Amino acid sequence: MEADIRWLDNPEVFRVGALDAHSDHRFYMREEEAQDGKNSLVQSLNGIWKFHYSENVPSRPADFYKEGFDSAGFDEIKVPCHIEMAGYDKIHYINTMYPWEGHFYRRPAHSLDGTKEWEGMFSQASYNPVGSYLKEFDLDKELLGKRISICFEGVEQAMYLWLNGHFIGYGEDSFTPITFDLTPYMREKGNVLAVEVHKRSTAAFLEDQDFFRFFGIFRNVSLYALPQMHVEDMWAKPALLEDGTGSFGLELRISMPNETIGRAEVTLTDREGRCLLKRNMPLPGNEKAVTGEGTEIICKLEGEKIGKVTPWDNHNAYLYPLFIRLYDESDRLIEVVPYPIGFRRVEIINKVIYLNGKRLILNGVNRHEWSAEQGRCIGRKEMEQDMQIFLRNNINAVRTCHYPDQIPWYEMCDKNGIYMMAEVNLETHGSWQKMGAIEPSWNVPGSLPQWKEVILDRARNNFETFKNHTSILFWSLGNESYAEENLAAMYRYFKEKKDGRLVHYEGVFNNRSYEDAISDVESCMYATPDEVRDYLTNEPKKPYLLCEYMHDMGNSLGGMDSYMKLLDEFEMYHGGFIWDFIDQAIAVTDEVTGQKVLRYGGDFDDRPSDYEFSGNGIVFADRTEKPAMQEVRYFYGLYQ
Amino acid sequence: MDCINKGMEGERLHLVFGDVTLGVHGSFKGKEFAYIFSYVTGGPESLVINGMEWLYRTPRPTFWRALTDNDRGSRFQFKSGMWLSADLFVNYAGVMVAVDGAEITLPRAPENNQYTGHERAGSLAITYTYEAITQPAAQVMVSYLVNQTGEIEVKVHYHGNRELPELPVFGMRFIMPTCADRFVYEGLSGETYPDRMAGGVPGIYEVEGLPVTPYLVPQDCGMHMDTKWVKIYRSSTLDNRTRKAEPSAIRFSAKEGNFAFSCLPYTAAELENATHIEELPPRRRTVMCVYGAVRGVGGINSWGIDVEPEYHIDAGKDIIYSFCIS
Repeated sequence: MEADIRWLDNPEVFRVGALDAHSDHRFYMREEEAQDGKNSLVQSLNGIWKFHYSENVPSRPADFYKEGFDSAGFDEIKVPCHIEMAGYDKIHYINTMYPWEGHFYRRPAHSLDGTKEWEGMFSQASYNPVGSYLKEFDLDKELLGKRISICFEGVEQAMYLWLNGHFIGYGEDSFTPITFDLTPYMREKGNVLAVEVHKRSTAAFLEDQDFFRFFGIFRNVSLYALPQMHVEDMWAKPALLEDGTGSFGLELRISMPNETIGRAEVTLTDREGRCLLKRNMPLPGNEKAVTGEGTEIICKLEGEKIGKVTPWDNHNAYLYPLFIRLYDESDRLIEVVPYPIGFRRVEIINKVIYLNGKRLILNGVNRHEWSAEQGRCIGRKEMEQDMQIFLRNNINAVRTCHYPDQIPWYEMCDKNGIYMMAEVNLETHGSWQKMGAIEPSWNVPGSLPQWKEVILDRARNNFETFKNHTSILFWSLGNESYAEENLAAMYRYFKEKKDGRLVHYEGVFNNRSYEDAISDVESCMYATPDEVRDYLTNEPKKPYLLCEYMHDMGNSLGGMDSYMKLLDEFEMYHGGFIWDFIDQAIAVTDEVTGQKVLRYGGDFDDRPSDYEFSGNGIVFADRTEKPAMQEVRYFYGLYQ
Repeated sequence: MDCINKGMEGERLHLVFGDVTLGVHGSFKGKEFAYIFSYVTGGPESLVINGMEWLYRTPRPTFWRALTDNDRGSRFQFKSGMWLSADLFVNYAGVMVAVDGAEITLPRAPENNQYTGHERAGSLAITYTYEAITQPAAQVMVSYLVNQTGEIEVKVHYHGNRELPELPVFGMRFIMPTCADRFVYEGLSGETYPDRMAGGVPGIYEVEGLPVTPYLVPQDCGMHMDTKWVKIYRSSTLDNRTRKAEPSAIRFSAKEGNFAFSCLPYTAAELENATHIEELPPRRRTVMCVYGAVRGVGGINSWGIDVEPEYHIDAGKDIIYSFCIS
């Protein structure tokens, strides 16, 4: 298949040539590596890449991916990083308005009858910047001779990929890892990877989050060598039963060469190493699919009894080490997959949410990934700092507003007992709310069939990638995307997984006709305490939470006790998520004084803008705590 | 010169009936003080304690805080904006003097010819009346009662007027000649507001420098509710002979009820005028505001909902409070 630039304009093309979304498990070929986390099967491609910036598609170097292309005129850029932060395109902050407001007239494809104007909307636009990235590399020794995949953890907002002149694939969902198989075209030395990144595509209609609008490769890029026998996907299903015992299930999708045999060993221990479960499954088992490339096997454990377990919660985030080991026919260890899992039970009884039999209280915040120096391109250090701030201030819940975060954050939440609302990368705010009014005349995804698969794909990416994380108590369909058939289909997608989690979506508030078809909980944002009271005293249908409340813009966070008291008043009220964790502002050198200062929307000649509206954190953009934090710490410590 | 009329320890106050000002001099337990109250500027023009001048300009009532983002969101400025001009331009309307509890004819020239250079008193009270340029005009009376220890009791009375819009704050603003090094206070930890003080832990706290909380857009900050006392330390002066001085302190303490204060290097108007922290002027002064009423900051949203009703300041009601300076 060849790349087609018109995919940028077509909402029905969002994923080409990519491997199926799969669990975020790490895999190693040696026990020691699984212990210390150093993985010789991984080769990072982070670092300096060759780069060319173009203002639009027609002016880009279209042949740059071809072998023998002369890249002498290319610049260099760091990967990962936002292209704007590297000084190429304008930094722009805007809230609900689409970023082309006042510059281009655009309506989503198929949203208004009979329009053909969407053809070329992005691929032929006079302004739709392109980043052309080239990376030359040799394979590390340990990766030689193995199947090689590449994982882009975050590329905003549409990407085409080539290896050694061959087209590999295309992807859009900016905030979710996407993996491609490179094996057919991989060489030992002198590989040239070409990535063409587009600032906007139809994905722009779906990624209208209230944040700085960036593009580029902004998260890790890694090569993975897959052992001969490999866990392609795993879905662990620990459950806490009412009698305090655990049950355990596991689904594995394993690839191995045709005509070979082996076994999968599954062990579950407690933290002291006492074995709770050990099972051996011969490979291949009964469920298998043989293809030209190899055999794919599905093997399952179901309803294994574990006995008494320590439940996982915020006060005691007890995780049990789970190991999956694959052995070949001569019983040689081929692959080991460690994955700590917790036993917990989320349920709604009489319209009240319980975790492990106790009423759930969410002392939460919404958290954008942010760094004043690097934008949304953050590292482990920032995540660790954020987690320390959470723990220090009694924050027990996080909503990943409004896109999936980097993988280590989910692991940290598992480990520290932070209740997660894991949100899909979706927000279409500007398509249905204009100047504050609900005006959904051309909203997406709405009920448009052409916009259904793309958002289901986003839901699937979120589910499949993060399904093993104990911390996730809620899946969230995204933020502020109105509510019609396609959101209802997303809701059904998650419900059909029957994974014991709740499914959350706030947007039915704006279209009550979908109240019974979307969301397990009544969720509002910025409802006043009296409005919460009104709902809960007038035949409420569902348990209630505030997915956004206490808008901490500037010097704010007054009146928190009025919300906290609701926890005493109503069993069905479960608390909420403060808006939000960190000010989004960018560190620059002041052109007048030379000192390092923070700038916000409108400070980059970016218009229209929503200016300082991105500064709503309980920490400043440099992660120092705002004075209001002591109030958060006090109340969140009081209600546990 | 402030050093001429040094009183003996424990003696009665020495009053200097000038043509334009009234000087009060004395000493107590090793502390020497010299205060000058002006009939022209409408308040104390000089508060010298142990040789250090603590005033840059005559204190004034303050009616404004730099808008918070939530104030802007709830359009508070369109409802109460007249208080900003009232804060900038305070009209001094009158003065009364009482010696040892008895009002005397205002002793300015030539009325003061009846006095000598040796007048003594147990106490002096001087009361100023101000009119805010609001429509209708709001009236404020501020009296300074000096006793033999040199302590000044400040009584502040805002006369409510139902026709006036809600106030953002009401208090007294003292501007000191140079930046303070630090301040120490007994009250609540951190920055607190009427609707955000549950998490404040009572104690004695020291704040180095005069930090301006770096909100993206400068706005009111640094409020400390429920304070028993605050001591402000300075070690620089504008006195050309010294410039650097021994660290010295001035103390504001509660009289009847605790007060709120903020101690910043800027006035509300200076903060209001900046869109970024780096636009604030170089730090030169200490702006100490002692408040009798503070509006809450709110938090429900930043695009329309007001601060909860119990944290508004009704301009129709009198605000009466007092504190001591020593």
